[in-house]
Amino acid sequence: MKDLSVRQICFLFAAVLPVTRMLVYPATLAFRAGHDLVLSALVNYAAEGAVIFLLALLAKKTDTTFFGLLQQKLGTLAARIVYMIFALYFAFSAVLPILEQHGFVLQVLYENVPSFLSFVPFFAVCLYACTKGLRSIGRAADLAFPVFLVCFPVLMFMALPESRLSALLPVGGTGMQTILRGGTESLSWFGTAPYMLFFLGNFRPERKSTAKIISAYAVGAAAGMLFLALFYGIFADTAILQQNALAHISKYATSSTSLGRVDLYFVFALALVLLFALCIPLQMSTFCAAQAIGCPPIFPALAVNAALLAVTSIFHQSYLEIQTFMTQTVWYVFALFSLVLPVSAWLLKIPARGKRAPKGVRLDKK
Amino acid sequence: MTKNKIAARIFAFFAAALLLLFFSNDFGLIDIQKTSIVTAIGIDAGENGTLDITAQIAVPESGSNAKAGNVSVRGAQTVGEAIAELNLKTGWYPTLVHCRLILLGMKTAENNVFRALDYFLRSQFVEDYCLVAVCDGRAEDALGAQSPVGDITYAAIEKVLSSEAQKTGLVSVNNLREFAKSYYAPGNSGFLPLLSIKKEAEDGSQNQPAQENSSQSADQTQNTGSDVFDASSTVLFSQGRAVGRLDAEQTLAFNLAGTDTDFAYGDISVTETGQTVTNNLKTKVTKKTQHVTDEAGVPVLRFTIRARAQVADASRPGSAEEVARSAVTPPHVLRAAETKLQNRLDSVFRTAQASGCDLFAVRQTLQRFHPALFEKLGDSALSLAKPVYNILFDTLH
Repeated sequence: MKDLSVRQICFLFAAVLPVTRMLVYPATLAFRAGHDLVLSALVNYAAEGAVIFLLALLAKKTDTTFFGLLQQKLGTLAARIVYMIFALYFAFSAVLPILEQHGFVLQVLYENVPSFLSFVPFFAVCLYACTKGLRSIGRAADLAFPVFLVCFPVLMFMALPESRLSALLPVGGTGMQTILRGGTESLSWFGTAPYMLFFLGNFRPERKSTAKIISAYAVGAAAGMLFLALFYGIFADTAILQQNALAHISKYATSSTSLGRVDLYFVFALALVLLFALCIPLQMSTFCAAQAIGCPPIFPALAVNAALLAVTSIFHQSYLEIQTFMTQTVWYVFALFSLVLPVSAWLLKIPARGKRAPKGVRLDKK
Repeated sequence: MTKNKIAARIFAFFAAALLLLFFSNDFGLIDIQKTSIVTAIGIDAGENGTLDITAQIAVPESGSNAKAGNVSVRGAQTVGEAIAELNLKTGWYPTLVHCRLILLGMKTAENNVFRALDYFLRSQFVEDYCLVAVCDGRAEDALGAQSPVGDITYAAIEKVLSSEAQKTGLVSVNNLREFAKSYYAPGNSGFLPLLSIKKEAEDGSQNQPAQENSSQSADQTQNTGSDVFDASSTVLFSQGRAVGRLDAEQTLAFNLAGTDTDFAYGDISVTETGQTVTNNLKTKVTKKTQHVTDEAGVPVLRFTIRARAQVADASRPGSAEEVARSAVTPPHVLRAAETKLQNRLDSVFRTAQASGCDLFAVRQTLQRFHPALFEKLGDSALSLAKPVYNILFDTLH
């Protein structure tokens, strides 16, 4: 029995991961790419989609895990080193989303600022999820999909009447350099392709599974770009001021009604989807570290969550500095790990189908 | 099930419960006794370039007897400083989440109002759909006015600036988001309703206004009569400064052509059998568009308006047949309505153009649809623009 199914991977790409790009990303992209933010996002989605397509194709060619492929080609030690490097990368990539989510909840749902300790239970939930391995990612995707399916269209429906899409004109007017720069500085929000690398061998490719996965990714990408277009259509030149876009995009539909901010129910539901998404990099980090070290997942899970808790407690007042560092200084780290390295998995020698390579420690077997 | 698994599940359950409390704002419950709910903010120009800030604070009470009090801070360099001083002076921590109205004194509008307004754009705790208006005088006085129907002042003003008022064309309502968008757009222009207070009666109302004025300023006096608010005029802005004004008829024409107004009443005078007859027309706008075209390097702003009108009343007594046929508007009245709207709209365009206010977003439209012409004309795009009107009225059945 495999840990994941194609359906769960599809749900992950279509419904869970797009929500992570609906908080600070739109305003950041508007700051860099202006009214061409959708084009800039398209570049990122196309690049990430291509990587996911190649990895989904690779999954059809082999039944072996990434660890197995590395082991066959480079040996066990190298495989462990690569996994440990990815474990560090996933933990690193989780810093910005956690700070983002923390700020989102405090600024949108709170009128005053509660103690940072209030956010600590997140790490307790995450710790539990980390010990459950890849299977829990799939189950979270199953839970999140219907929530997304209901809440996202409702919010878009509320946003649509206020949006003037002519704000996106002239298409390409900011120039190719600006569009590409917007893309490179957004890479920290596009670090999800490596997940597919570690799903290799942990799901059974079905008939047309590559088409299903890439179609699901395209649906998620379309949802993300629709969100960006409506967002800019509503705020235009003031879009760069709108942090936490998810909470702002639909509020004008309800501002004139006696019911008040009913949209917050849907925002709240999507915030819970975000919670699932937030756990994934930490789960992946735990998964990789446990494989690399060859130990039960509880130990790396404790270490990863404790480290992130420490980092978050230190930097939770410094979101802007961390964001600037991640997007403008170390963007190439994300390019390397989310685009280049996953594709290079194709360079590993692909064993004949059916010939299973030895696996590392399986974390999620009961 | 092993003890470890049970413990893990209990751990997960409690962690999830705590997390849910965090997400649902249960850690954010506020002490209402220490928090002042600011419903409106007035911003006036103080001495030596400072700001005088007046906050109208709602006082929650049981039943329907809502009260409000005004607190003023004078001589602040910034709005943020004044808000902090409110806390210092009153011991209340002011929460701006419920602030629904920002009033600017006329003198404030003589300089760039975004010196004061950008505080509300920076803050994540102020909703940017709050209404913004300019007062014909001091905002502090407007917030101290007494509503004749017993509303607290901000609620009475909010009604005058409501979306219903906008739909009937009587007021050019604007909110912080739209005003900021037009300010940061290429045109750097915008408009705000002009709020003036008119004394209606001295002690004329049986309803006691539920208003306390606890201003910290020593010269603040209680009003004894009731006041009505009028916002039928509109102030034009360029570069954040007030540069012009539209009267009530111009405001109506602007609303019919450029805002969400789709239903309005207006008087049309025509000559019938040698006498001037004024018809009160009920008008429903069925279509309105504005296009900017590039005609030999000149930006041409084309207004297209289609409306249906019906005579609601006339200044002379009508025969039984005329009253019965009031659904059918005489053609000469319709043509007169077209001419009047075109003349008023043209005067709006000329007034805005002369004052440098890009009221109809000519520069923004050029930037989006004719970027080459926008680049070529630069700042002169507005002054070179020419209007073309295509207005047709038909009978409202």
